[in-house]
Amino acid sequence: MTASHKKSFHKKIISILKDILNVLKIEFQTMFKDRGVVIMLVLAPLAYPILYCSLYKNETLIDVPLAAVDCSQSPQSRELLRHIDANQNVAIVSKYSTLAEAKQAYNEKRVHGVVYIPADFNKKLNTGDQTTVSIYCDISSFMYYRIINQACSNCVLAMSNQIQINRLNATGITGESAKIVANPIPYNGVVLYNESAGFASFLMPAILILIIQQTLFLGIGMITGTSREENRFHVLVSSSVHRGGTVRVIIGKSICYFIMFAAWSFYILELVPRIFNLPHIGIPFDVMMLMVPFLLATVFFSMSVSVFLPNRETGLVIFMFMSLILLFLSGVSWPQSNINGFWRAFAWMFPATCGVQGYIKINTLGADLRHVSFEYVSLWLQSIVYFATTCWAYYWQIKKSANRVRSVKDKVI
Amino acid sequence: MASRPIYFISTVLIMAFCYVFFLTFFNEGQPNKMPIGVVDLDNSSLSRQFTRNLEATQQAEIVMRLNSHKEAREEMQRGNIYAFVEIKRHFATDAITNRRPAITFYINDGYLIAGSLVSKGITYMSAATSIGMERKILRAKGIDESRIKGIIQPIVLDTHLIGNPWANYGTYLLNVILPGILQLMVLMMTAFPIGVEYKERTSREWLENSGNSMFAALTGKLLPYTFIFTIIGVIGNVLLYKYMHYPLNSSIGWMFLATFFLVIASQAIGVLFIGITPVLRDGVTFAGLFGTLGVTFAGSTFPVEQMPTGTRILSDLFPIHHYFNIYVDQALNGIEIHYSFISYMIMLSFLILPFFVFNRLKNAAISQNYPIK
Repeated sequence: MTASHKKSFHKKIISILKDILNVLKIEFQTMFKDRGVVIMLVLAPLAYPILYCSLYKNETLIDVPLAAVDCSQSPQSRELLRHIDANQNVAIVSKYSTLAEAKQAYNEKRVHGVVYIPADFNKKLNTGDQTTVSIYCDISSFMYYRIINQACSNCVLAMSNQIQINRLNATGITGESAKIVANPIPYNGVVLYNESAGFASFLMPAILILIIQQTLFLGIGMITGTSREENRFHVLVSSSVHRGGTVRVIIGKSICYFIMFAAWSFYILELVPRIFNLPHIGIPFDVMMLMVPFLLATVFFSMSVSVFLPNRETGLVIFMFMSLILLFLSGVSWPQSNINGFWRAFAWMFPATCGVQGYIKINTLGADLRHVSFEYVSLWLQSIVYFATTCWAYYWQIKKSANRVRSVKDKVI
Repeated sequence: MASRPIYFISTVLIMAFCYVFFLTFFNEGQPNKMPIGVVDLDNSSLSRQFTRNLEATQQAEIVMRLNSHKEAREEMQRGNIYAFVEIKRHFATDAITNRRPAITFYINDGYLIAGSLVSKGITYMSAATSIGMERKILRAKGIDESRIKGIIQPIVLDTHLIGNPWANYGTYLLNVILPGILQLMVLMMTAFPIGVEYKERTSREWLENSGNSMFAALTGKLLPYTFIFTIIGVIGNVLLYKYMHYPLNSSIGWMFLATFFLVIASQAIGVLFIGITPVLRDGVTFAGLFGTLGVTFAGSTFPVEQMPTGTRILSDLFPIHHYFNIYVDQALNGIEIHYSFISYMIMLSFLILPFFVFNRLKNAAISQNYPIK
């Protein structure tokens, strides 16, 4: 290669970098001049995690009010009710003599469940028969049902086990052998990763990732919609004639979004979980490594789609509801294994799906990067594909707007 | 209204998509046969019998057999299984020689719903195994069959779920999510068409065409949306209660009425938002942020009364919260209508809100002094 060649090559690199930097600068300027964009890209990602974390701050339910209908009125029935009341998750707030009265209290929303002890409870316990305790649970929220059922069945089981031993003793099986007969194969369940079965610990990680994707997406949609509305697309190509200008614009813009959201990601995914005591057993480095392709995929995905938004508000109106759809598609509440093939494939197109799964696995379950290779590779694949679609979409849009400008000029002449 | 695709998309198309999405997504009712793993270090006929029993549970399906605890834990971290059961070496011999071998299972509650359902299935099967063993021992000891039942399980807990006896997940979620999305779309499609008049500087003509009456202008503008969204909402009710046969313990008419009130109450809030700032993008942003919060504040995912103080008052500002209360009272519990009277009334009272911003909207419509972007 001759010296002059080398020099021109250098020049070219410098000109490319200059272009990219220029786009980056313009993008940052337009962003901070626009109040709506600042709300979406700065305020929302900073405030939303705090808002949601505060709403879901209580991991579990405390003292869910229950009514008791004790038809037995015996020492045993009172003991059982006392034990249930002692559970921190529920509280027996009122006692009634009939189920009808308890139902009245339930209808008036004074209680969320009823414990019913039949009249022959005591008699059956004394004669060695089997007896039944009934509970009625509010299921308007699954949390009520889970908590009430769990608290009552623990107490009933504990009492039942004690009676079992007594009855075995009565048949002449005593001591250690009574224990063995009562429970020949003990079992114990160990809850991992979310020991207290907390609601926030389970749902918030998914919401955090969705906040990143949705604010980025809607923010970029707003910026692009505005430039389309004002027909400034061509302006962004610093020297619109030369080849490769489109790619420079795209790289410049995406660096701008990427830098900004890399910082937000650290705040949202590493600081917020520590502040609000959500699970955070993952290695922060691995989380950030996952975020690189996640943010790139999200940026390019957003840029590709946003080109089709004719106005600045369109994206907001049309895509806001997707936040809810994406929460279910991510497979955190309804398990991924039970989502049918079509919706799974549909879900896979959105970076948030792999983002949520990858983040939960690393941060909540303590996996490392090699355990989430599927998500990691998928996100890189998405980055590449969406980069290509962005190039195509921008190229098409720039050409279209350039043509429009030319035809206007022609008309003027 | 028919001029731009956004109007059609955000009224009819999005709601239609949501109906199709959620009804096909939750058609199972409850997630069944979720993947779990087994670490069977004993590999005896007894341990194999136990794993076969596990296969029979409704909630779990054994998808992998693993050789060690570490391997199983890694599969769990990869998200391939929601739980695994560990059976120690000498399980069978210990059981026969009365050494009480323990079965341990590990549950991934990072995925709370999958975790707790799988846990329920495994617990049930483990208890059944233990009880089966106990029955065998008692019989061998010659205890009378009539007394065995009372010894094995002296107290049975009988759990009734009020209104949704099969604990159908779709029932529980869709009754809130679909109206929640309806509220979101109504909010935005109130702020948007009004805001557009200001943004495109056509607000003066709009007002003049209505004889300079803001009330007439707003009514004329919003009535078509009231009509369309109510129809869509009612279709949603019919889909849930008639097509999916979700619990409906009172007349469907009360749900239709609640849906209609949800639409008009949301419209009133939409007008308030665009009235506070007659700037299209601000109005739409507020409407959107408020709308997405609605599902949280409805109170079905996490009960509102267990949220931090203050949230309860906040939740009253969301029409969907009152809709949810009506749904619980009427569709789910089927109690007398007078209990829901107050919820209907609160929804109606939202209609006062637009009157606070009439003057603002009118002045802005005439002077057109707000920024357009």
